[in-house]
Amino acid sequence: MNKKQKELAIEVKGITKSYPGVVANKSVDFTVNKGEIHALVGENGAGKSTLMKILYGIEQPDEGEVSVNGNVVQINKVDAAIKLGIGMVHQEFHLVPSFTAAENIGLGEEPRNSNGLINWDKLNKDVSEIAEKYGLDVDPNLRMIDASVGVQQRTEILKTLYRNADILILDEPTAVLTPQETDELFQVIRSLVDEGKTVIFITHKLREVMEISDRVTVMRDGEVQGVSETKKTSVKELANLMVGREVFLQVKKEKSKPTDVVLEVKDLWVHDARGLVAVKGVNFEVAKGEIVGIAGVDGNGQTELVEALAGLRDTSRGEILFEGKNIEKNSPRQRRREGLAHIPEDRSNTGLNVRLAIWENLIGTSYFRSPLSRGGIVSMKNILRHSNELRETFDIRSPGVTIRAGSLSGGNQQKVVVARELSEEPALTIASQPTRGVDIGNIEAIHEQIVEIRDSGKAVLLISAELDEVMSVADRVGVIYEGEFVEWVDPSKVNQEQMGLYMAGIKG
Amino acid sequence: MEKFSFKDILVLIAGLFITAGVAYAILTVTGFIPTDIAKLFYEGAFVGQRNILNTLNIATPYILTSVATVISFRVGMFNIGINGSMYVGALYAAWAGYRFTTLGHLSHVSLCIFIGMLVGALWMLMPALLRVYAGVSEIISTIILNFVAVLFVSYMCNGPFRAAPIAPTTARILETAELKQYFPNSEFHTGFFIAVFVAFAAYFVLNKTTFGYELRSGGDGLVGFYPSRYSSYLGIPSDRSAITGMLISGAIGGLAGAVIVLGNTRNFYQEMAFNQGFDGILIAIIGKLEPLGGLISSLFYAALKNGGLFVDYKTEVSREIVVILMSILIFFVSAQKIVSSLERFEFVKKLDKFFSRKVK
Repeated sequence: MNKKQKELAIEVKGITKSYPGVVANKSVDFTVNKGEIHALVGENGAGKSTLMKILYGIEQPDEGEVSVNGNVVQINKVDAAIKLGIGMVHQEFHLVPSFTAAENIGLGEEPRNSNGLINWDKLNKDVSEIAEKYGLDVDPNLRMIDASVGVQQRTEILKTLYRNADILILDEPTAVLTPQETDELFQVIRSLVDEGKTVIFITHKLREVMEISDRVTVMRDGEVQGVSETKKTSVKELANLMVGREVFLQVKKEKSKPTDVVLEVKDLWVHDARGLVAVKGVNFEVAKGEIVGIAGVDGNGQTELVEALAGLRDTSRGEILFEGKNIEKNSPRQRRREGLAHIPEDRSNTGLNVRLAIWENLIGTSYFRSPLSRGGIVSMKNILRHSNELRETFDIRSPGVTIRAGSLSGGNQQKVVVARELSEEPALTIASQPTRGVDIGNIEAIHEQIVEIRDSGKAVLLISAELDEVMSVADRVGVIYEGEFVEWVDPSKVNQEQMGLYMAGIKG
Repeated sequence: MEKFSFKDILVLIAGLFITAGVAYAILTVTGFIPTDIAKLFYEGAFVGQRNILNTLNIATPYILTSVATVISFRVGMFNIGINGSMYVGALYAAWAGYRFTTLGHLSHVSLCIFIGMLVGALWMLMPALLRVYAGVSEIISTIILNFVAVLFVSYMCNGPFRAAPIAPTTARILETAELKQYFPNSEFHTGFFIAVFVAFAAYFVLNKTTFGYELRSGGDGLVGFYPSRYSSYLGIPSDRSAITGMLISGAIGGLAGAVIVLGNTRNFYQEMAFNQGFDGILIAIIGKLEPLGGLISSLFYAALKNGGLFVDYKTEVSREIVVILMSILIFFVSAQKIVSSLERFEFVKKLDKFFSRKVK
């Protein structure tokens, strides 16, 4: 078996693709064997997405050739890719919310009756059959607006299978999933491969690579750094290849030395946008010199809690005491003056205005102060100096600070937000999903910065759906479930499984 | 905001050529000699003191309405109602022009302009408040208010403000309220300098002041998803910014109406038909939603318009051809897909790089 040349599902030779100012792919060679799970890893901007866009016909390479199942092909549009049996599940789902699963799956490929109308029965039957065959648990009649993220993702996978895809590209499929949903997804991927499909799995979570993939390709700066069988490599080696230097996977920190209480939350109740109770009378404290973590599956009241603390949402009952004063009636600007910074979870519409330039996003908390402005007149010289300093300190990768923030990659956008918030040296930093969409080397840097803030005697409240993140960075962790804290734990004394139970609302 | 790049200029030039081609075809088909018409067109727009002054005179209200558009759009408010502000601003400037009889020249002109701007701004207050406190789309309310404005001024100059028994018109403004016309052969007047000053002032306020930053922080683009949560997240009162932006926009719209009455017509009459408020939107978009871009494209638009008028005056060619040509040109300038598709050509990439380096 090993001696014989394995059949290749995809072979990419010498692909080069450049955008204005950057070369996204530099003569990339990339092969995927038939019937394997192939992990493609790399940091943001490493060129993974570009390569996949080329395979899926969204982008055209400047140089190089693509073969599918041994034949050299021109994939000049998405339709051509689908005809070749390539299917892609994007990171952002492309679903019509008001349509059912079956309607979404059949969209554009609806089976017809003899009279030309859509044959709904056949569509529902076909969808159910495919779903059953691959163990994808989806109710064809469920509207997507009511479906969980996991179900939406399975619907996307069904969409590709309905179009007879043999090669599936999954772009960071686990980024939006809970640990349980991730396990379910992995079962689906395994059954797909058992049925003879080929899966390309893009991620930057290395633990998942080790768990699910047969082979792994690492990219960095548009070039392939290495290809290996997964069992012959290690997380450490992959991480170093990805980042191009030694990476410390564990956050290095001393034991915390909490002092005075900065934030005290008493019996806080908050409603969500639909008017339902999202936070149900929580009590907690955050002290100087400690990082308090809040763990939990997304949608258990974290968003509403953070917005209430930051002044973006009204509370219905309870008190928020900041350094002993009730700040409940204060505006976000007043809270910031008191020394409260906020890294919001929604970076593209809240943390940034993507239509403004990078420098305009960097000065959002400081533009009204000298030396950035005097008497209401901004000093471009000082602002550009300040922005460029932040750009260097926080390693924001962009050609300059005058381009629009919207043209940055997700990770670099996040760095803009983090840079702006942390540069104020606030007494309390509320960091909500601070590393979402950020790659491993930069996650390390952001974690280091958070620990540094703590060590300088400031307080941090860290909210994250990434269990690993909360567990390794925070000194004390509260697990939130349906708007209430299930348990407060010392992360060094509790294991992942126990945390999983707490996150599901089961007390110990 | 995205700045001009070489690609934009290339598309503009290509658009000009194609527009010229279409014009050539239309003229030939309708039995004219295109090169003769082109010569006349050029002469009408740019040759001789009188034609140049007329071009600048036509540009005056466009500069103001495009700046008014720029401000509201960049605050994140899709204000389509500048034409309405123009009407009421013009009417009340005329009223102030004949009503106050004891003032000196400077104080009278200033008062008329102030009243025109104030009324123009107040006209925008309702859509702004409705948007912020009731969520009514400002696009709908400002469009409706345009009709209301036309009917309102028509009523006023038929009724309360009517001076002449034979025609629905206000009294002529007093000489002290007139904006000076400098040359006997053209209506070119001081309003042009006011407009240019406003464009520069808007550029300065939007880009160089903290006030301008606060205004823009919730918007700053054609696709105004008001409210972008960014500004309220920072603690900038975004509702106040949105209202302020609309009021400034309305005030400049009112100013556009006022300078026409004070500088050109010297009274307000029922048949006065403004469309500069609408054209200003197109001009502002061609100018990439920058105040100075609006200034330049207003001059460009006015030159085309004046050239067209000259051709219309000298020949049998209909002036409507200018409308057709402008439409084609705008079609090209706003065709962003064409701009981005040019990236596939190697030479465009290289030139783009070359030019952007120069700009830095």
